[in-house]
Amino acid sequence: MSDEGLEWRSEDRAGVIVVAPIGRVDESTADDFKEHLVAAASNGVKTLVIDLSGIAYMSSRGLRGLTLAQRAGSTAGTTIVLAQPNETMREILAISRYDMLFRVADTVEDALEE
Amino acid sequence: MQIRFWGTRGSLPVAPQAETIADKVADALVAAEGRSFADKSAARAFVDTDLAFAVGQTYGGATSCVEIDVGEGAFVICDMGSGVRELGLDTIRRFSDGSRPKEWHFFMSHLHWDHIMGFPFFVPAFMDGAKIVIHAGHSDAEKALRRQQEEISFPVPFDWLKADIEFRTLETGREYEIGAVSVALVEQDHSHDSYGYRFRDAQGKVAVYSTDAEYKVDRSETLSAMTSFIKGADLVVCDTMYSLADSVSMKEDWGHSSNIVAVDLCHEAGAKRLALFHHEPTYSDADIQRMHEETIRYEELTREDAPLEVVCAYDGLCVDV
Repeated sequence: MSDEGLEWRSEDRAGVIVVAPIGRVDESTADDFKEHLVAAASNGVKTLVIDLSGIAYMSSRGLRGLTLAQRAGSTAGTTIVLAQPNETMREILAISRYDMLFRVADTVEDALEE
Repeated sequence: MQIRFWGTRGSLPVAPQAETIADKVADALVAAEGRSFADKSAARAFVDTDLAFAVGQTYGGATSCVEIDVGEGAFVICDMGSGVRELGLDTIRRFSDGSRPKEWHFFMSHLHWDHIMGFPFFVPAFMDGAKIVIHAGHSDAEKALRRQQEEISFPVPFDWLKADIEFRTLETGREYEIGAVSVALVEQDHSHDSYGYRFRDAQGKVAVYSTDAEYKVDRSETLSAMTSFIKGADLVVCDTMYSLADSVSMKEDWGHSSNIVAVDLCHEAGAKRLALFHHEPTYSDADIQRMHEETIRYEELTREDAPLEVVCAYDGLCVDV
């Protein structure tokens, strides 16, 4: 387990917010991961892109954060798109069937397209 | 300790249609690539070693019934789904040599239909001299079992059963000694509640039976409670009926869990082996095998410490613990 927190990067790409968590989503960081995403999804933007390239993998702790963010986004009218997961994350999204709950884009640029 | 699976299907018993069997035979013949077999045992060896499980065998379709067997004393059984019929007949064969008492102890996860439907067909209940003790966290277990044998549902009333039948309500936070095993239980999220059981034999081996348990996405405390309950278990039988996505979307509040959460629980608790259980009744054998393979892969992808062995329960499986 890591003692280090997640690092977050965020940018506004023509009205679309792109957030990029970097680090490990584990017992010590799962709450921060969830709260950060829920806050970002509650701001009322039309689209929130979560750039997953800085996440090596995540268990259900992290997937739970994605679910709660999606629920917050649903209330706020925000659609969440997951972008550029690595091969491990892509497999986890497929096994959990989260790739059926979220649109998964190969790149952030692809995610920005309607 | 041996864990025998007599019924592994969730919610509703299922049986293959003729076409399903014909497809399995056709797939096996294609896999054989024209080879011939000297006798049935050679053909059977081919089935066991060369064919995918979903082609050569089946996960079965009886509903929940799992035996905790320490080889002596009373029979210990979790739930009385439709699989309990076969268990009843098998235990009659096993006590007929006089080595075991005519005594059965049931531990009920809960009282929903698929977990009690086998009892009217449990032959030992019709036998003079048989002793049956039904343990439950619920205080209304007797009501549930009597109700399913009322005239509107079944021709043989509960009071006609010849066995001495006793009901015991158990409490969480305690450990009970039942013959050669000790038992503890934990409350789980499910409609009308459900209970998971932790069995420990005289050698200290631990098997956990946890089915019909939901871990809500916004209630991490139930996950923590279960992690403590299964800590260091040698085998954990877990409800893995849904995908994680289904369990947090369309099927939220339906009372079941996923293969993903089961692996995470076992990883965090340092359990040694996980048995996937309570299979979705709409799943084919190929679907269940795929789920098993995906779960093994997920375990590899998320493993941080010692490997967790992932087995997939099927009707007839016996696991040595």
